[in-house]
Amino acid sequence: MRALSECNPIAAALFFLAVTLITMFTMNPVILGISFVCAVVFFCLISPKKGFKQHLLFLGLGLILALINPLVYHNGVTVLFVLNDNPVTLEALIYGIVASVKIIGTLYWFRSFSLIMTEDKLLYCLGSLSPKTAQVLSMALRYVPMFRDQIKKVHLAQKGIGLYKEDNMIDDVRGGLRVFSIIVTWALENGIITADSMAARGYGTGRRTYFSLFRFTKYDGLLVLITLVLSLVPAVLMILHHAEVVYYPVLQLPENTTGTLFIYICFTLLALLPEMLYLEDRISWKYYLSKM
Amino acid sequence: MEILSVENVSFSYAGSAEETLHDISFTVEKGTFVTLTGNTGSGKSTLLRMLKRELIPNGKKSGRVLFNGEDTEKLSDREAATGIGFVMQYPDHQIVTDKVWHELAFGLENLGYPKDIIRRRVSEMACYFGIEEWFEKPVTSLSGGQKQLLNLASVMVTQPEILLLDEPTAQLDPIAASDFIATLKKLNRELSLTIILVEHRLEEAIPACDKLLVLKEGQVLLYDTPEKTAAGLKEWPELLYDMPAAVRLYHAFDIKEAACPLTVREGRDFIEEHFKRDVLSLKKPAYQPESKTALELTDIMFRYEKTLPDVLNGLELKVNEGEIFCVLGGNGSGKSTALSVAAGLRKAYRGKIRVFGKDIREYKNRTLYQECLAMLPQDVQTLFLCNTVKEELEDAKAEKLSLPYDLTHLYERHPYDLSGGEQQLLGFAKVLAAKPRLILLDEPTKGLDPGSRRMIADILRSLKKEGKTILIVTHDVEFAAEIADRCAMFFRGEITSTGVPDDFFSENYFYTTSINRMTRGLYEKIVTLKDAEAILKENGERSW
Repeated sequence: MRALSECNPIAAALFFLAVTLITMFTMNPVILGISFVCAVVFFCLISPKKGFKQHLLFLGLGLILALINPLVYHNGVTVLFVLNDNPVTLEALIYGIVASVKIIGTLYWFRSFSLIMTEDKLLYCLGSLSPKTAQVLSMALRYVPMFRDQIKKVHLAQKGIGLYKEDNMIDDVRGGLRVFSIIVTWALENGIITADSMAARGYGTGRRTYFSLFRFTKYDGLLVLITLVLSLVPAVLMILHHAEVVYYPVLQLPENTTGTLFIYICFTLLALLPEMLYLEDRISWKYYLSKM
Repeated sequence: MEILSVENVSFSYAGSAEETLHDISFTVEKGTFVTLTGNTGSGKSTLLRMLKRELIPNGKKSGRVLFNGEDTEKLSDREAATGIGFVMQYPDHQIVTDKVWHELAFGLENLGYPKDIIRRRVSEMACYFGIEEWFEKPVTSLSGGQKQLLNLASVMVTQPEILLLDEPTAQLDPIAASDFIATLKKLNRELSLTIILVEHRLEEAIPACDKLLVLKEGQVLLYDTPEKTAAGLKEWPELLYDMPAAVRLYHAFDIKEAACPLTVREGRDFIEEHFKRDVLSLKKPAYQPESKTALELTDIMFRYEKTLPDVLNGLELKVNEGEIFCVLGGNGSGKSTALSVAAGLRKAYRGKIRVFGKDIREYKNRTLYQECLAMLPQDVQTLFLCNTVKEELEDAKAEKLSLPYDLTHLYERHPYDLSGGEQQLLGFAKVLAAKPRLILLDEPTKGLDPGSRRMIADILRSLKKEGKTILIVTHDVEFAAEIADRCAMFFRGEITSTGVPDDFFSENYFYTTSINRMTRGLYEKIVTLKDAEAILKENGERSW
C-alpha cells in the first residue's frame, strides 16, 4: 500500500469524507475522542512544519468553545456553581467539551485534507464528476496569474511614461481604474485568440474525454473498499441508535452492547487508516534502504 | 505526391473592397519544408489562415484549397482539426489550460480518445520534445521559448500531416528561435512532416527549408528552392531586407557566375573566392563621447524577493549624454531588470543611481518622469489605455507633437488591432510625449518586420541628433551593430565588457553579427553590411 498522499485523489477524498461525516454526525465522546486523537496525530505526521502556532490557535479555540456552552446553556441537573444568578451545570460543561473536541478534530482533518488534496487533485475529482466544469476551471486557473502579472506590467509601464503624474492618492486611484478597464479589453482580446486555438485543435468536434495524470490502481480499489466497509457498518449501526448518548438533563452513556463495541472498533480502524498507511510506507522504505 | 494544392484563391476582408490575396495558386509536395515570406501587408498570414479552415477570417473567399486531393471545406470536423496543425505567433495566446501535461492532452481530449491512449501519446511527445523536466509545471512559469515548444508539441500530439506556423519565433530570443527552427527541421527530417512556415527572420529558416515562397501584394512572386528564389530577388530590393546577410551581400554586387550564398559559411566562401584582400580594414574616425554623463549606476544590487538570489550583482554602468548605448545579453541575464531599476520602477537594495548628475531619490513627486526620463517597455501593449489611436495620442498630449512619422491614417483603429510595428510607433509617440531627455528602450525590435525595424532605427538616429540619450536593452545583435555608439555585454547581473560596436563585436566570437562571422580573419573589424560592402568595393573583385 501507499501513503494517503500518494493514493488516487478520489480514494483519498472518499476517506476524508467518511471520517469527517461520521465525526460531524455524532456526539458520542468515545468516537469523537478517537477521531480527535487520530486527526492530530495524522496532521503532525504529514505536516512539513512543526505548526506550533497552529496547535496553539486550535487549543485556544477549543478552550473557548468548551467554555461557551456551560455559560450560555443552563440545562442539566448537576449544578456546579451559580454565576450571575445562572446555574453552571456539569452536563452543559461536558457537552461543551465534547462539542469542542468534535469541532477541533474536524478542523484537524480539514487541515490534513488541504495538505494532501492539492489543486490538481481537487481538479481531478471535479473532472470525474463534470469534465466541462473542470475544463473551465483549469482555464480560469491559468488566467488568474496571467491577469495579475499583466496588471503589474501595465502599472510599471504607465509609471515609466509618467501616467501617475502627481504623487497623490486621487491620481493613483484614477490611474488604477484606467489600468483595470484596459485589462478587461486585453482579456477579451486574449480570449478570442484562445478560442481560435481551441477550435484549431478540435474543440467542439465531438464528445470530450478528461485526461489526468492520476491512475486508479488495485490498491486504490482496496482502499475504497476498506473505507466503505469501515464507515458504512458503523453508520448503519448508529442510525439504529447504537452508541447514542443523552446529555440532558442527566448524562446517559450508551450500554456496552455488541453493536456499540463494533462501532468503536470499526471507527478506530478507519481513523487509524492514514496513520497505518503512512507508517507502513515509512517502514518499507527503511527496510528497502537497509537492503541497499 | 501533392499534399496540399491551392487553386485560384482570392480573399478580401469583410468591409474592405481591396483583395488581400489575389488569385493564388501553388502546390506543396508531401514532406517538403516551405518557408513563406513577404513584406508586411503582403498577405502571408492571411494566406496561411486560408489553409486552416477553422481560422479563416471573416471576408469573401473564392477558389479552393485541396488537402490530399479533397476540398478542405468538405473535410469532416475531425479530419480538418487533426490533419492540419497550426501554431501562432504569440506563445501565450494559444495556451488553453493551466498545466503543461494538461495542455499536451488538450487536443486528444477534444477528440475523445480514451485515457490510456492519451497517456501514451502525451508521454511520447514530452520525451521527443524534451518537455519531461517541466511536465508538471504550471504554464505561467515557462519561458517564451518553452511555451512555444509546448504549443508545437501540443499540436503534434494529434499527429497532423501538415504543420502551419505563423511567425512562431517572432517573440522569442535568438537562441530560443534557432532551437525552435532546428526542432522544425528535425520533425521534417525524421517524420517527413510537411511544414509551411511564415517567417520574417530568415537567417535560420532559409537554410532549413526546401522551398521558399515570396508573396508580394497578395500574389505569388517567386516559388522555388531557396537558392533560386534568393538569387531571383535582385529586382525587388525592398524584399531583400528580409533575407540573410549573405544573400544581401551577394545582391550588392553583380557577380554572374557565383551561386547565391545562403549561410555564413557559403557567404564566407563567396567573399574568399571573389574578392581581393589588399585593404584589410576601413578607416573610421574614433568615437568621441560627450564628457557629461546622462545615467550612472554604481554597485547596484537587486533581488525580487528576500529569499531569491540577486538578479543584479554589483552592476556598474555609465551612459554619456547624447549617445545610443546598447546592452546585449542572454535570456534571464537580468538586463530588463537592470533597465527598470535604472528607470526607478524597481528599487535596488544597494548602490547609487544618478540621472543627469542628480541622485534618483532626489527627484521628488515623480518629477523623474516629467521631461527627464521615459521608458518603452518590452510589451508595448502595456502602454495603451484608450479605445482608439487618436484618444491614445490626445490622452498623452502627443497629438501636437511633431513626430518623425505619421500616424493619422490609423487614428480610428483600436491600438490592439495595429500590427506589431505600428504598435511600436504608437508606443514611441507616447514615450516621446513625456518629452524625455533620456529614453530607455526594452527590446524595441522584438517581433518586428525588417521595414519597421529600419523605421525604428531612423527614429532613434533622429532623436540622437536632437541631443537625446538612448539606452537600449536588446537581443538583436544586427540592430545593435547598426545603431549603437557603444555596446555592452550583460552577464549574470553585471556588465562584463563595453566598447564601440566595431571593437565590441570583433572581439566576440559567437555573440556577433553574421557579417562579422563571414569576414572574420579575412578583414578586420567588419561588423555591418554597409561596412562589408565598403571594404569589398575598396578591394575590388578578383580577376581570374
